[in-house]
Amino acid sequence: MGEVELSCLAYAKMYLHASQFPRCSVNGLLLSSSPAGAAVCITDCVPLLHSHLSLAPITQLALTQVDAWCSQTQQRIVGYYQANACVSDSSPTPCALKIAEKIFEQCNNAVLLMIDGEKMFPGCRVPPIVMYERKDARWTLKDKHTIMLRQWEETCSIVNQLFSSGDQTLLVDFDSHLDDITKDWTNQKLNAKIMELISPANGNV
Amino acid sequence: MLSVSEMLKMRDKLRKWREENYRNSEQIVDVGEELLNEHASKLGDDIWIIYEQVMIAALDCSRDDLAWTFRFDAILNDANKLYDSILQDDPTNTAARKRKISILRAQGKSSEAIRELNEYLEQFVGDQEAWHELSELYINEHDYAKAAFCLEELMMTNPHNHLYCEQYAEVKYTQGGLENLELARKYFAQALKLNNRNMRALFGLYMSASHIAASPKVSAKVKKDNMKYGAWAASQISRAYQMAGRGKKENKCSVKAVEEMLESMQITMS
Repeated sequence: MGEVELSCLAYAKMYLHASQFPRCSVNGLLLSSSPAGAAVCITDCVPLLHSHLSLAPITQLALTQVDAWCSQTQQRIVGYYQANACVSDSSPTPCALKIAEKIFEQCNNAVLLMIDGEKMFPGCRVPPIVMYERKDARWTLKDKHTIMLRQWEETCSIVNQLFSSGDQTLLVDFDSHLDDITKDWTNQKLNAKIMELISPANGNV
Repeated sequence: MLSVSEMLKMRDKLRKWREENYRNSEQIVDVGEELLNEHASKLGDDIWIIYEQVMIAALDCSRDDLAWTFRFDAILNDANKLYDSILQDDPTNTAARKRKISILRAQGKSSEAIRELNEYLEQFVGDQEAWHELSELYINEHDYAKAAFCLEELMMTNPHNHLYCEQYAEVKYTQGGLENLELARKYFAQALKLNNRNMRALFGLYMSASHIAASPKVSAKVKKDNMKYGAWAASQISRAYQMAGRGKKENKCSVKAVEEMLESMQITMS
């Protein structure tokens, strides 16, 4: 299977999402604005739920809406992420596998990303993520060497800056949007803030 | 130093945040610390729950701590021992018993938590919080039938609570099949009657009605009725989003996504 590149924007928002609901399981979708090819470039993510992940209606609703938004913005859904409430267990739940399977139906190099809660402390030198790909009809662990996080140090620093400026509270997930529909689950405001922090660094992050 | 009434206000604030699951860790630490430092003796049984609440909040805030997960586990074990000793002295202390079950849940020991909670509910059948906790545990374990049972108990004793209706409907929808979809639609509608601003219920009504209408197994009348319900829900959703989107540039994206979704589902229904 090909390479997977995870952008700073996608990583930062996933991390913020998991941090915002430390005692809940959270999940979301991974998006790409790059054309389909051998490699997968995860350029953005949409945080979805922090409650009742395994119940169908809201998940279906969210998938449909994100799909609609993606077609309007030339993006594709290329994967799914989840952080389990129980930090010592970062294995994919049946619900994670189900949703990843659905995404795989539309995207044949879809990835399933589990956030490893035990590695989510500041100063941790290893990205707190575990990636799975679909091989021989099963979701198997992806070779770490095929996963790229460009400019990891800068990404960590940007995440820290978001926390110290208090901007991490800007993150809206789909669940929060349903509680108050004036909140924007596409996170335009937060995206802009993150892009501002990224731009001094050179090249794509 | 706080006056007694100020202290009581603080204690009630902490309880509210606990019950509503607020994530305002910094506030909790501020309020809780003062309460525990100055007024521990006056807190009675609440002290253990507050102690745990503040410690967890403090962990959330102390991002400089390297191995916070290990500390969390250690604290859970300490808390567990504390509750064990409380229960030795006073086996009827329900608060301690429930906190022990929460610890099991936090440690990922779902089957044990479920077993303990079931035993607890045999004795304390009226404990709403426990029934809700059990329904959440069953949902996480994908045991939807048992989750539905718990929610039925809650709806019986809290007939005006729109959240229970809506959660019950979601469980039914997840179980699937025509009969469950119809039940789901009815309970989403009930939730809306109780609170017409519950967006989950509105979307749920829209989706269940649409799925029933699209099913080849239903009669023409059922199809027609459900298309009507679906159309009504769609117009309510549209209206809600138009109002939400007024003058706010930032949620134009979500508004557009909803409109497109409603359009595309119209096509599949007809």
